[in-house]
Amino acid sequence: MIKLDEYVSAVQAVNLTPAIDTTGVEIRGGYVSDMLSDVMGSARAGDAWITIMKHLNVIAVASMTGISVIVFAKSSVPDAAVIDRATSEGICLLSSAKSSFELAGVLYRMLQA
Amino acid sequence: MSPRELVKRIRSLKIEWIAITDHNSMANCDAYEKVALDAGLSFTWGVEIQTAEEVHLLAYFDDPDAARCFDRQLYQSLLPVHNDSAFFGDQAVIDADENILRFEEKALINSSVWDIETCFNEVSAYGGICYPAHVDAPANSILSQLGFVPEMPVFEMYGITAGLDVSSFIDLHPYFRGKALIRSSDAHYLDDLGSGVSHFYIDQPSCREMLLAARGEAERKIEGAYDPGALGFGVENSGSPPAEPNFGIPTK
Repeated sequence: MIKLDEYVSAVQAVNLTPAIDTTGVEIRGGYVSDMLSDVMGSARAGDAWITIMKHLNVIAVASMTGISVIVFAKSSVPDAAVIDRATSEGICLLSSAKSSFELAGVLYRMLQA
Repeated sequence: MSPRELVKRIRSLKIEWIAITDHNSMANCDAYEKVALDAGLSFTWGVEIQTAEEVHLLAYFDDPDAARCFDRQLYQSLLPVHNDSAFFGDQAVIDADENILRFEEKALINSSVWDIETCFNEVSAYGGICYPAHVDAPANSILSQLGFVPEMPVFEMYGITAGLDVSSFIDLHPYFRGKALIRSSDAHYLDDLGSGVSHFYIDQPSCREMLLAARGEAERKIEGAYDPGALGFGVENSGSPPAEPNFGIPTK
């Protein structure tokens, strides 16, 4: 388990939902997928979800599966409506210039350490 | 699929209305329309758009000129990737006599940068109708990509695959209960034509009428979704959008 704030600095991510207090937020695992049907079936609560999918449905899927952190790879930034919904659901959104591969690699290493 | 072979087979199947929905392009609708109309079939311009979410949406237009204008916008929205013809095959644009007019160089297999809602709005702006293709398919369907049907945009109908058992599907996905489902062949080869059809009880084969039928208004209706075996024999204005030939390659 790692602290979200440590991961944010490790991948130089931008916090898209600054209204959410991240101090107590922790990451227990990770999942990488851009197909929401797959995420619904396989992601676990506490995972950070790494994706380039920006559709509003990502927030509902995260909420359904108990994901509290979504990391948008390759500097993807979703629409304001998506960010607003995430804020109201208490789901932290990050955006990083790194690829999904790099984001997952860094997260994996930190979780193993 | 060659337009003449396609039309011949469509006629032998007693299908009366077809649409061509190539991937991300309507460049070949001109040729197919000419051959279909000459054979006395009703023809609708269509396209299968791959959105930014990699969801396939079907779009149909009553007005070929509007369709051409839309097609130009869609083309601009496609990612600038060159077609690898050794892998994906040539993307030939043909005329009604099956002469190759040109080869499309941009990879039509790729996605548009438009998301679903933008796509829907663009199609609507050009007077077309738009709905998710093959919702029950394991890839490139609105369910596979988005997990469930989003609130927006509001679709009036949904495409299903040729052989879908609708009642089991609806048991799994109750969202679709009572929704207008359009069964079509999605045929990429001649042999697949007619594998899925829908019967439209309408005044004329048009998108406008299709919408009325989807809403069940003015005594219009759509049938066929529940019995994949039934073909449109003897049914007035029965049809089957969309047949989907490969991108304009005349086949043997």
